[in-house]
Amino acid sequence: MNLQQQSGTAVPALSASGISKSFVSGLVRIQVLNHLSLNVMPAELTLIAGPSGCGKSTLLSILSGLQYSDGGKVVALGEDLTGASVSELEHFRLKHTGFVFQGFNLFTALTAIEQVELPLNYLGIGKREARERSIEALREVDMFHRANQFPAELSGGEKQRVAIARALAKKPQLLFADEPTSALDASSGSTVINLLHKIAREHQTTVLCVSHDPRLIQHADRVLAMEDGEIRRDWRTESDFDINEHLHATKGIH
Amino acid sequence: MVSLARKSLMREWPRYLPAILAICFAGVLLFMQAALVLGIFGSAAVYVTTSSSDLWVGYPGTQSVNLGRSINADVEYLLRMDGNITAVEPLQWVDADWRSPQTSGGVSVYVIGINPNQDGLVFDQVLDANVRQLLHEPGAVIVDRADLGQLGVETGNWALIDGKSVHVVATASGLRPLGGVNIISSLDTARQLTAGRDKTRATYWVAKLDDPKNADIVRKQLLSKPSFGSYEIWTASEFALRSQFYWMGDTGAGVAVLFMAAIVLLVGLVVASQALMAVVISSAREYATLNALGAGMAALRRVVLEQAAWIGSIGLVFSIGVSTLLLSIAHSRDIPVSITYQMILVWVGVVLGIALLSGLFAMRGLLRADPALLLR
Repeated sequence: MNLQQQSGTAVPALSASGISKSFVSGLVRIQVLNHLSLNVMPAELTLIAGPSGCGKSTLLSILSGLQYSDGGKVVALGEDLTGASVSELEHFRLKHTGFVFQGFNLFTALTAIEQVELPLNYLGIGKREARERSIEALREVDMFHRANQFPAELSGGEKQRVAIARALAKKPQLLFADEPTSALDASSGSTVINLLHKIAREHQTTVLCVSHDPRLIQHADRVLAMEDGEIRRDWRTESDFDINEHLHATKGIH
Repeated sequence: MVSLARKSLMREWPRYLPAILAICFAGVLLFMQAALVLGIFGSAAVYVTTSSSDLWVGYPGTQSVNLGRSINADVEYLLRMDGNITAVEPLQWVDADWRSPQTSGGVSVYVIGINPNQDGLVFDQVLDANVRQLLHEPGAVIVDRADLGQLGVETGNWALIDGKSVHVVATASGLRPLGGVNIISSLDTARQLTAGRDKTRATYWVAKLDDPKNADIVRKQLLSKPSFGSYEIWTASEFALRSQFYWMGDTGAGVAVLFMAAIVLLVGLVVASQALMAVVISSAREYATLNALGAGMAALRRVVLEQAAWIGSIGLVFSIGVSTLLLSIAHSRDIPVSITYQMILVWVGVVLGIALLSGLFAMRGLLRADPALLLR
């Protein structure tokens, strides 16, 4: 099977070719990504799965323009991020991307609706429209009834749904999620991944999710199994591919 | 627009309290330091600042009011000839030795002989007409109530100045000079005290103008006229500043005050910036998330700066409250303190400056807001 399998003839939303990344730890240089290439197709939920330390989060950070690769090329929505400056990357992220992190990272002093409104302010969106968009996003994640609650008054699952609304309100073309369910119980985790899938389908957003949580696999449109800085397997869950077989075969997905 | 800085301060004020208190204490220290400096060194010019005279004429090169020497009495005619001048009077300065039954040994005092009439110019802002007229009694003197202990007398007591009897007829407040004790008497009493010494001529001649705003112009006009002897003319504000600067420079206090102010500034800055940086670092993950979502570092720096501005403003309000309280305590205990509008303006600027500078330093905390670090 071709590991960098493409979906039909559609233009990829994200494209990486030959990217490498290494870190120095003490006297040792660790090669995290090794000439990795892949295409991520639009309007679907792509899951990058793999054990801790396999390089999946590093790959996500490079594809999302959070950090530079040592070599290779990254094209996102037709823009070459490889040679972009820090401020150009910030501008790209502001315009096109949303993020959901494992740790929610909500400001303790802001209510749920203010958390969602805050990034919209930086987009230069007017007060009224920002409020409307925030309400809409909170409704979509079924958190509007908790709009005036502070993070301390919300459960983990609710916090993550607010974080998703915060990303969603920007109407991003690219949504990156890093271990979005790892800190959640089964029920909340299921709600969150269903939301991410729904966003990909209904908003035509490209959702790229990184996780070692096996519960997510059945919700993804496409799964990339990573190991040692390389993509070892690449399959579509809609196909007649046997997920259980892959669960068994893919190291790190328990 | 959601004001992250303001909301954070309102909701999480205990986290910002150390920074606010640091600004507040630095503000109070600077305020009281400035008030004491103005009060203490202002008292070097108490003769000028509590009088309604607009021009002072004294011995050439006099560096401070208390260093005056007697001048030619003809100066009076020069002043009286000028159409802008509405009143002229002499001031007699005598360095003397005070003795009372309650003091062991003598106390060095300045005897200031003034015009005791109701329209007298010198000390008219601290001695009202009723008190002044008591000085018509030969040998009558007025002292500052805060000096009674040092002089060993009470109102109504008798004492000796250079062996001559004087009678303490009243006390007043605001007469204390820097580095001595002022004894206020009439010109006649002062002349009697110096009888036999060649110091019977006036030390200063003071003049009041019909329009005080013209003081500098009139001063220049007078200086351009034919000489009436050896003298120098200063405007009141000029002479007051000259006296204050002399004391600050001569005693080394100016350098000491600047040194103290620098220490207060530094301590306030370090404590406030460290406290603010701790708050920034504790929110580093949230800032990193905002940066990941596209809020530029410049925007995040503005949030920190806005927080610093709020902290500065709140700290300033607190320090105004505390300083006002301390100022009233100081006044009630005759501690020499003084404030001016200029001083308050500079002080407000400095306190807000400390807060904003601490915000600039605290921005280093944003270095930890690297969104790539959020990805595990």
